[in-house]
Amino acid sequence: MQPLANITPLKPAGAIEVRNVGQIFKTTTQDVVALEDVSLDVKPGRFVVLVGPSGCGKSTLLMMIAGLRQQTSGTITISGAPIPEPDPNRVGVVFQEASLFPWLTAEENVEFPLALRGVTKNDRRARAQDALQLVGLDGFGKRHPHELSGGMKQRVSIARGLVQDPPVLLMDEPFAALDEQTRMTMGDELLRIWAATGKTVVFVTHSLTEAVYLADEVIVMSPRPGRIVDHLQVSLPRPRTYEMLSGDAFGSLRDRIWRHIRKSA
Amino acid sequence: MSAATLRRLIVISLIALWEILPRAGFIPELFLPSLSSTLAAGWNEAGEYGHALAVTLYEVAISMAFACGGGILLGAIVGSLPRPRILIMPMVSSLYAVPLVILYPVFTVWLGIGSESKIAFASIYGFLPTMLATAAGIQTIDPQLLLAARSMGATLSQRLVRVIIPAAIPTVLSGLRVGGALVIVGVVVSEMLISSAGIGYLISRYRTILDSPHVFAGVLLVLAMAIAFNAAIKWIERKAAIWQTGTRAGQDAAGEVAPAALQPAT
Repeated sequence: MQPLANITPLKPAGAIEVRNVGQIFKTTTQDVVALEDVSLDVKPGRFVVLVGPSGCGKSTLLMMIAGLRQQTSGTITISGAPIPEPDPNRVGVVFQEASLFPWLTAEENVEFPLALRGVTKNDRRARAQDALQLVGLDGFGKRHPHELSGGMKQRVSIARGLVQDPPVLLMDEPFAALDEQTRMTMGDELLRIWAATGKTVVFVTHSLTEAVYLADEVIVMSPRPGRIVDHLQVSLPRPRTYEMLSGDAFGSLRDRIWRHIRKSA
Repeated sequence: MSAATLRRLIVISLIALWEILPRAGFIPELFLPSLSSTLAAGWNEAGEYGHALAVTLYEVAISMAFACGGGILLGAIVGSLPRPRILIMPMVSSLYAVPLVILYPVFTVWLGIGSESKIAFASIYGFLPTMLATAAGIQTIDPQLLLAARSMGATLSQRLVRVIIPAAIPTVLSGLRVGGALVIVGVVVSEMLISSAGIGYLISRYRTILDSPHVFAGVLLVLAMAIAFNAAIKWIERKAAIWQTGTRAGQDAAGEVAPAALQPAT
């Protein structure tokens, strides 16, 4: 008989399944329906971008996939199992503001999730070094966040999300606070890291250009109550290049998203 | 010339003036006895001053423990729970504006004129700013940091120890600086008003018999106490600054000027 450990799980690591999910915020005066009947399948290793007007609940959806918020109805599974609370072994999260702890150095920030789990100092340091190297910050480990630029802070933040090697990386408008040039560079860097690690990425953004440039698939959401109104496959070849931005294929995809958003605005 | 040398020069010239002006007869010895006669007066009564200093230090130490311990504990509770915050904060804030020294005679009725009434008064006096600063420090922690910690699987106690406490330290320290200074003020002032021991008592007793050198000897001791306290706080701030390099509050704490040096009149 086969030992139990050899039985492959029904869902491969990194698959995200969102089934008929709804979210209602209760306030004292009324109930606000933030999300209604959202269903979504993300295959392992895909780069999926959520776009939509402000208040469409895309960040809320991301927080629920991260286990930081529980849905009012429906089910969410990561690698086949529900996520009742945050689990950094399955899901890493990168926030808009780098949200690094200012009193810790870059490497201590990256080590933070490991320290929570009692990983030994040497082991922690080694894994943080690997993660910092992966995001291109070799040699910056001893710096504090205020000594790093905005782009570098987000790199540290990505390293922190990846340090436990989870199959899924969730990113909530990670580059929104960066200037245009840094944003472009960070997009390319993220694609490089994604290609090197093969993670499943779910990425929330306001920028249509960023969405099409990065994604395998773009999910377009409507304003409150948030629903999925379109699901585009971006078939542009990889690696993506700056020249594609001015191509016809790129333009028509971006126009299609924009028409959805303009209609709902 | 650097600012530090200039500062030292100013202090040295003030000390020199303290000696020279009364000696040269520009200021009557009754108003300002010279430094040397002040020191001599203190030295001659060293036993008396030593005993008074011991009493005052004892009262300050106990009050400091009550004020800082209680202030941090209650401030942490009030700062992290919204309901007590809404209830208590307005009361505490308006209480802070009241010149609490008016309560001191009541304390002497309840607790006598010994150390107990001084400790009660100084504790409450120093407690308020410490509590307000701690509550503010906890309230102003960036919620993003707590969310990030939660996303990494931090439990409630891990969030407290690894996020809330280090993030609150700069504000708490600035509260301690004000609170501790007020404890010293509270003890000395209450000793001067109604008491039978301590440096404040000596100052006020020698004042009634117009013995200026002995009054100033007491003043010097209080001054030394305040300077020692300040040095201690600076030392703690430097230790803590290792944690919080880079936060704006951390830089304030490392600076020379206390962010909340304003104190209410007694």
